[in-house]
Amino acid sequence: MTTDYAISVNNVGKTYTSRDGQENVVLKGLDFHVNPGEFVSIVGQSGSGKTTLLNTISGLQEASEGEILIRGREISAALKDIGMVFQSPVLLPWRNNLDNVLLPLEFRDAVTSESKDHAMELLQMVGLGEKATRYSYELSGGMQQRVAICRALVSRPEILLMDEPFGALDAMTRDSMNFEIQRIWRRTGCSVLFVTHSISEAVWLADRVVVVGDRPGRIVADVKVDIERPRAKEHKFSENFASYVAEIESHIGVTAGIS
Amino acid sequence: MTTAPRIDTDAVRPVEPGPAPAAPPTASRLKPESFTAGIKAVVGLVGLFAIWELAVFIFDFPKYLLVGPISAFEELFTNPGYFAVNALTTLQEGLAGFALGTALGVLCGALLYYASFLRPFLYPALIAIDTIPKVALAPLFIVWFGFGFESKAFVAMAIAFFPLVINTFDGLNSVPHELQDLARINRASKLKKMMKIDFIYALPSIFTGAKISISLAVGGAVVGEFIAGSKGLGYVILLANSQVDLPSMFAAFIVLAAIALLLFFIIDLISKKLLPWKNYTK
Ligand SMILES: Nc1ncnc2c1ncn2[C@@H]1O[C@H](COP(=O)(O)OP(=O)(O)OP(=O)(O)O)[C@@H](O)[C@H]1O
Ligand SMILES: [Mg+2]
Repeated sequence: MTTDYAISVNNVGKTYTSRDGQENVVLKGLDFHVNPGEFVSIVGQSGSGKTTLLNTISGLQEASEGEILIRGREISAALKDIGMVFQSPVLLPWRNNLDNVLLPLEFRDAVTSESKDHAMELLQMVGLGEKATRYSYELSGGMQQRVAICRALVSRPEILLMDEPFGALDAMTRDSMNFEIQRIWRRTGCSVLFVTHSISEAVWLADRVVVVGDRPGRIVADVKVDIERPRAKEHKFSENFASYVAEIESHIGVTAGIS
Repeated sequence: MTTAPRIDTDAVRPVEPGPAPAAPPTASRLKPESFTAGIKAVVGLVGLFAIWELAVFIFDFPKYLLVGPISAFEELFTNPGYFAVNALTTLQEGLAGFALGTALGVLCGALLYYASFLRPFLYPALIAIDTIPKVALAPLFIVWFGFGFESKAFVAMAIAFFPLVINTFDGLNSVPHELQDLARINRASKLKKMMKIDFIYALPSIFTGAKISISLAVGGAVVGEFIAGSKGLGYVILLANSQVDLPSMFAAFIVLAAIALLLFFIIDLISKKLLPWKNYTK
């Protein structure tokens, strides 16, 4: 039954033990599932454990308790199904954009002429086809992040993890990136876990918004967003939208990081 | 940066790592800037010589205390063969030491970074070794390697080694954690990660270390020659010292400075050629 989920987070806990033996319970009893092709936003206060959660799902960190299944399998067996986008693009300055996109495949010894075409298609999809042989210092921050998204997608992952990918961008670029990511998600059909500090961004993008509470990190709300797709800018001004934002805000408590 | 002892051959240290005077720039748009920078460097150098000559003239120093650049250059051009042969010796010793020190330093820096379990043992030991003034090691190297070329090269190596350890380690240590994560998510082998990310990322820092080391290495060779030499610029200086031949001594200083400066700029040029992205980022 669990195999029907793209991601299953089953009763996951994470405790850091500091050098002086003090235990810091960061995540406790997390339990949620992501359906194939679903877009799930994660919001929560700073320090509530969102990055830690993504890292346990990607296998970068090990959960202290519980288990995480990627398409019904242990993470260790499923790593290749995951693409990751960080807050900063961290492209390699000595590689052109196409070669930056190909890096994950080079790591896996999987570069073929077919995969090169695929990388090129991805760049074209985000409107950077003409910049394929350019270098990152010739791109704006938003363009660099688009290259980083292509890099995450080049291995055709079924799961895309994004940790505040647009946090460093200005509001206008951020809006256009939201459209971009909606388009990419619809075209690739992958499941997305999207961490953000912006509640409106979270609602506008997602099928579901998961609210992570503080100390220890746990799920305090799982809100299904029923707004038709594809979504347009107008949706941000609908009453429906505003009530979702208000609801999620109330779950986060206080006026934490609203953009 | 490092606690490398200051050797009394101050003359070999290039004062300011300004852009290479005649270096063909990597990017064409850098051309005018580096050209004017070159001119400024030459003007500065000529100015320095002028002030030096003027000071000697005005204060009328006796010839056994200080001579001006003119008599130094005169000495240089009356015996060009003598200085060339000895400069070549010092250059060879310094370069051999630098090459060895760089190879060993990069290796040690990488070991320090990758073998994190060894770090608590290795690091204090390296620091302890570094606190020994390398000049003090010179007599030992002469016992070990004899009076010839090798002992000087090893003194040069001992001095050149440390900046490279530190800078290699620092460079590797500054690889952003996102890139480490990316490598892990994609199951990159350790070797792949080293070659495709770590070492290229660390290269600018390694070059910084090399720029520090190259003049240190030449200084190290001179120190070796001071202690047991029958040729090389260190020997020229000692000989001039015993004969109170200051023009010869200052000529040797000038040649030493020129060698160190030249080597520095060669490394700078290589780093600019090899790391063109550094011209744009930051
Ligand atoms: N490697 C670590 N060792 C010890 N504690 C850690 C470590 N990484 C994170 N923490 C702690 O775990 C908690 C959650 O951190 P995390 O980075 O997951 O929060 P976050 O929700 O992503 O915050 P932000 O929104 O600011 O990015 C914090 O209190 C942090 O101090
Ligand atoms: Mg975070």
